[in-house]
Amino acid sequence: MKKISFKLIVIAISLISFNAVLAQSPCDSSATLCEKNITSNYISDGQDYRALLLDDEIAEFNMVLYGGTTYRFAACSGFSDGNLIFSVYDKERNLLFTNKEYSNSPYWDFKITNTLDCIIEANLDPNVAASGCAVLLVGFKQ
Amino acid sequence: MTTTYFNLKNQALLFSFMALVTFSCGDDAAKDENSENIEVEQKDPNKNQLLELDGKVFSIPSPIQTAFLIKNSGMTYNKDVLNVPSKVTSYSTNFKKAVNLGIYGADLGYVTLYDQTQDAISFLTAVKTLGDDLGVSSAFDMELVERFEKNIGNQDSILSLVSEAYKSSDRYLKGNDQNDISALILAGGWIESLYFTTNSAKLTSDKEIINRIGEQKNTVYNLIQLLTPYYNKPDFASLIDNLMELNELFEKVEITYTFIKPTVDAAKKTTTINSTTTVSISNELLGQITEKIAKIRAEAIN
Repeated sequence: MKKISFKLIVIAISLISFNAVLAQSPCDSSATLCEKNITSNYISDGQDYRALLLDDEIAEFNMVLYGGTTYRFAACSGFSDGNLIFSVYDKERNLLFTNKEYSNSPYWDFKITNTLDCIIEANLDPNVAASGCAVLLVGFKQ
Repeated sequence: MTTTYFNLKNQALLFSFMALVTFSCGDDAAKDENSENIEVEQKDPNKNQLLELDGKVFSIPSPIQTAFLIKNSGMTYNKDVLNVPSKVTSYSTNFKKAVNLGIYGADLGYVTLYDQTQDAISFLTAVKTLGDDLGVSSAFDMELVERFEKNIGNQDSILSLVSEAYKSSDRYLKGNDQNDISALILAGGWIESLYFTTNSAKLTSDKEIINRIGEQKNTVYNLIQLLTPYYNKPDFASLIDNLMELNELFEKVEITYTFIKPTVDAAKKTTTINSTTTVSISNELLGQITEKIAKIRAEAIN
């Protein structure tokens, strides 16, 4: 009897948790996933960057990165790491980095020697998803 | 230079016009054609989370980064550059509340970096009051206050706590069709941060600090882009017009960028950006920017 009650409680808790996850918007779920990659040694820049993407749409995030700072970019979509491709360009559109070359790594660090204006482009990996919410989180340390 | 100003001005007018057209015509047309679809669209929790213009999302650097620079330059703590926490009760409109939530946040970062515990608690209280008024009490709740008090003396933890709270507030606002409030909070933080920087430049003539002012050239543009969709909302026009005038001054800052190939340490998941940037800003221009930001800031806090 006790065993049955315990099982029922476990099932009930699982269902409640599952519903709670479903109740979150796709962006919230991706943001939660992304947050774990901004580790405690990085301070958040206080913003939450999001864009809904369909098919081959590209989201463009415009940013200024200060010299003497190390930044961590965490980029996510959906419920698992590696769904989002992100590329960093300078204002002359020179490619500075793309996570496509590193198995769609969900985060990457950037040591900035001199301040620069940059553009981060994000798109869904077509092999993984056709639509979804792209979330970018930024942390920094001096 | 002038062209950019007019482009921005035209954009502001265009957005106002588009907003008017949407407001005046949108309802009827939508209801006639397919009211069910519209209802579904309104309920989409993600639709309003976008801060986009033509697919672009604009970022404003954290004021804490500039506070770090000022402290590292050897500047001593200067309470005179901060807003007064007790003024919090005088902000009656959501516009003023949001801008000053950003301003107090920048102040809170500044006093924390200088280990001014008592002042930090006063600013946190002001932040919490405005957060509650604006409906983002979940971000600035009692738990934050308690954790803040527990971590007094641990600067890194406090800065992380405050930044996380602002991020939660940003997420909440964007998720609840309040991108205008979110943009105003960012604007307030940036205005206060530039106000600190120009004051520090005046006192120290520190080259790095002056460069940081010049480096705001692109950020003021990004900020205008963020705010322009709300040009026809009360109080926004004056702020945006002022920022456009500030942008005109920033257009005179010369920034020379040279691309140098980055170096990658794949094992550490780190890329070092080696490109160089030089900033050239005359003393006269610096004075004009200092004067203009002081005026914008005075309008915001009074």
